[in-house]
Amino acid sequence: MKTLLIAIFLIFAPVFPAHAQQDSRIQMSGLDHLAAKASQTVDVNIDERLMRLASRVFDDKDEDEREVKKLIANLKGIYVKSFEFETEGQYTAADIEPIRTQLRGPGWTRLVNVTSKKEGMLEVYLLFNGDVVRGLAVLHTDDKELTVVNIVGPVDVDKLARLEGQLGIPDLGIGSQKNKKNDDEK
Amino acid sequence: MNDDYLWDKTGQPDPQIQQLEEILGTLRYQPRPLALPQKRNYFPLLAIAASILLALLAGGIWLRIRSRNEAPPQQVRVEQPAPKPIEAPKPATTGSASNPPILARNRIHKPRSASSVLPKQEREEALMAKEQLMLALRVTTEKLHLVHTRTQPNQIKNQHRVG
Repeated sequence: MKTLLIAIFLIFAPVFPAHAQQDSRIQMSGLDHLAAKASQTVDVNIDERLMRLASRVFDDKDEDEREVKKLIANLKGIYVKSFEFETEGQYTAADIEPIRTQLRGPGWTRLVNVTSKKEGMLEVYLLFNGDVVRGLAVLHTDDKELTVVNIVGPVDVDKLARLEGQLGIPDLGIGSQKNKKNDDEK
Repeated sequence: MNDDYLWDKTGQPDPQIQQLEEILGTLRYQPRPLALPQKRNYFPLLAIAASILLALLAGGIWLRIRSRNEAPPQQVRVEQPAPKPIEAPKPATTGSASNPPILARNRIHKPRSASSVLPKQEREEALMAKEQLMLALRVTTEKLHLVHTRTQPNQIKNQHRVG
C-alpha cells in the first residue's frame, strides 16, 4: 500500500503545482449571497469555451469588433461580479476578505490602490509569471457598491487601452503615446 | 567370501564393494525438509502498474475536458445543389471553334464568416456570450477609467481648462 501511495505521489506531484501556477482565476462565489441585498447585480462568467464561441460572432468587417476580438484572443476567461446597494453597510469586510486573501497570494501584485472617502477604494492587481502578465483583477469597494473583475490569461493593457471609447466603453486616456502621436498627425 | 554383506551388511565386506559404496555413497538419499519455492511478491509491480493506469486515465480525462473547453471544430454544412431542370440541347453555333464552350469558370467566392456556419442554437449561445463579454469589458474599462481619473486629477483639470 505504501508503495502504491508513493508511486501515485511521484506520478502526480509535478502536475498539481504546474496547474496551480497557471490559474489566475479568483473564486468569487462567496459574494453570491449579496445579490439578494443588491438593487442591481452584474454577474458575468465567461470561460475559455464561451470566449472562443463569442469570438466567432464578432464582425471582422467592423474595426471596433475586430479590436475586441484581438484583445480576447488569448484570454482564458472574464469574470465580473458587481453589486449596487440602495443603502450603506450591506456588505462587510469579511465578505471581501476571501478575495483579498487570494490577491495576496504568490504572483499577484497590487498595481494601484486609490482610496477616497467619497468614492471608496479602488485596487488594481496584476498576476505576473516572470515578466508576462497572466491575469488582472480590479476590486472596487464603495459604501453602496462592490465590484470585482477578474480577467484570466495574458492581458494586453495596450490592447485594452485601444478599446477606449469603443462600443460604449469609456475613454480611458491611457493609450500609448505612439497612438496619440499618430492621432495628432492625422 | 560371504554374500551376507550384500544382503544385510553382515560378515566380511569385499574391498571392491566397499570402494563402490564410498563412491556411490555421495549420491545416497539424504532426508531433508521439503523446500517449496518462495512465493514472489508482485504487489509493488501491481502498484506501479495501477498508478500508471490511473495517470493515463487522469490524463485522458484532463485532455478530454480541455478539448471540450476549447473552441469546437468548425462545422461546415455541405448542401446538395438543387436539381436543375433539364434544358433542351441548344444547337451548336458555327463559331464554336473560335469560342469553345466553357467547361469551368473561376468565380471569386466571398469568404463565409465563421458565424454563418454555426448551428442556430450555438449561434444564439455565442451571441449571448458576446453580449456578456461586452458587458464585462465595459465594467472593466469603466473601473480602469475611474482609476485613471483618480490617479491623475491634475492632468484632467488642465485638460478641462484647455478645452
